[in-house]
Amino acid sequence: MNQIIGLKWSAGPVTSVPMRYGLAVLSVAVALGLSLAFTHFQLPQTFSAFALSAIAITFWYAGTAPGILAAVLSSIIRSYLFEPTTSTQSRVLFDLAFLVFALLMTQVMRDRNQLELRVAERTAELTHLNEDLKREIAKHNQIEAELRLSEAYLAEAQRLSHTGSWAWSPPPGDIRYWSDECFRVQGFDPKEGQPKYEVFFQTIHPDDRARVAEVIESAVRENREFEFDYRIIHPGGEVRDARSFGHPILDPTGGLVEYVGTIIDVTDRRLAEKERERLREAQADLAHVSRMTAMGELTASLAHEVNQPITAAVNGASTCVRWLTRESPDLEEAREAALGVIRNAKRAADIINRIRSISKKGESTRQLADVNELILEMIALLRSEAKRYSVSVRTELNAELPKIMADSVQVQQVLMNLIMNGIDAMKDVDGERKLTIGSLWADKRMLMISVSDTGVGLPPQHADRIFDAFFTTKSHGIGMGLRISRSIVEAHGGRLWAADNFPHGASFHFTLPAPVEVGA
Amino acid sequence: MSCDNDNKLVAIVDDDDAVRVTLKELLRAAGFSSQTFESAEDFLGSGHQLDTACLITDIRMPGMSGLELQTRLNSERCRIPTIFITAHGDEEMRFQALRAGAVEFLPKPFDDEVLIESVRAALER
Repeated sequence: MNQIIGLKWSAGPVTSVPMRYGLAVLSVAVALGLSLAFTHFQLPQTFSAFALSAIAITFWYAGTAPGILAAVLSSIIRSYLFEPTTSTQSRVLFDLAFLVFALLMTQVMRDRNQLELRVAERTAELTHLNEDLKREIAKHNQIEAELRLSEAYLAEAQRLSHTGSWAWSPPPGDIRYWSDECFRVQGFDPKEGQPKYEVFFQTIHPDDRARVAEVIESAVRENREFEFDYRIIHPGGEVRDARSFGHPILDPTGGLVEYVGTIIDVTDRRLAEKERERLREAQADLAHVSRMTAMGELTASLAHEVNQPITAAVNGASTCVRWLTRESPDLEEAREAALGVIRNAKRAADIINRIRSISKKGESTRQLADVNELILEMIALLRSEAKRYSVSVRTELNAELPKIMADSVQVQQVLMNLIMNGIDAMKDVDGERKLTIGSLWADKRMLMISVSDTGVGLPPQHADRIFDAFFTTKSHGIGMGLRISRSIVEAHGGRLWAADNFPHGASFHFTLPAPVEVGA
Repeated sequence: MSCDNDNKLVAIVDDDDAVRVTLKELLRAAGFSSQTFESAEDFLGSGHQLDTACLITDIRMPGMSGLELQTRLNSERCRIPTIFITAHGDEEMRFQALRAGAVEFLPKPFDDEVLIESVRAALER
């Protein structure tokens, strides 16, 4: 019959086969029982109604086949138990009614199954959507956590570097973003919320306001970047140094959207710079004092060194006068003598200039300098001092050395210190008194200058202390010479060290870096 | 060893080239010929101490000093009239030099008249 009406067998909520058919039998049996009970109590005959209910229940819960079984059973029971006398015509009509009911119920079953299918589909769909949503939420949470972490790192970086960040759109706009560090640097209370531009402006030192306003306004007029230094007055009255950068953000048409930028508290940096500057000045002063002390010790020798060319010049001038005042003046001889005067007077002036440049106090300036020239000049200046103690001076200079970037006065101060130490070390030596000054390549990047003597050598047991401040083996001097020399050499990027010579004497060596393009 | 002063040679001993050369030129302008030496050792090695009538020498020089040269010559019984020229001269040094027979002790730079007169005097002895 099912095939005939083209229905698909479909099952109800009850799934096992015996239970489904059992339900058909049971429901019809209940309908029969109820009808028998009604009959017994002489109540109206209602088997048909009960049977239809039994059929409907069976269809609903057990499916099409058990439903049809229930219909057939009901039909049989009705025909043989309740209406044995009914005409065939009525019976057929009744059976038809049952059949139609069964067909209707089958249709209901089909609709119900389709509905269930749709519900199942929707449920699956919803489950799927739900899972997607959960994944989305998880992803979102992760991104949010990462963002929070990133923000925390950024805030920490801002705090450590005293750099706040901001966004601002020029009037009629206002400050759009103001980082925590901006609050701290600018001295605002975060509880009062994002400040207004005018409020920000009022915290700027009154002497700086006009300049800052001008810088900002002119930058905004041309959509340019700006940068300015200014002072902030904190609520407690403390004055801080700050620097602000601003960068314009433009839309695709070139219109200004806003400025983003930073505020940096540079107070500590500036203080450190000032401290370094003071230290540099103190070192320069000390170096100068040390130079002057050394020059003081050299007064007699330097006077002699100047006196020689002056003597020669005076001799020349006297000679010139004698040639001119003879009975027959000899102009050619006089001219020669006069030229000699010029030469020697210049030589005297050169020496005085050299002394003056060593003595002068000034900023450290580095220029290209020829190491060998510096050595020879210093030897010329100290020649009389060497002579005074019968010290012979020899040079071993590499003429191929490149010029170096150095403060000539300071390098000569080092040379002077080492040469004078060398002479000092030989004053009381009976044997040979020889000072050798050499220049050579230490390696590809460094020049080396050496000053070797044949004196008493480094102080035994104290060889490592000679570079200490206030360490001295001399009756004169304050023991700063080598200390200052070492700091000068190190400030130039070189090294200064000492070693004993065999069989006697000491050598001092220092290196200075060659210019980068040379020695490669 | 002794030396005679019959010759008229003027010897100049100074380690400074310029002083030495200009001194020689000055003497030439005054009509004296002279010979120059870079050091006391050079002078002693040249043998000219035998025919030098007047010695003009610096005091402070590398190696042997002018005063040591004078002592050495005296010990060789070679008393050459000596004119000291020095940039460092102090009274004690001057006294020592004059006592050892120096004819003049001139601080550098010196008056050429004084020097020339001294040379002339030395040569006319």
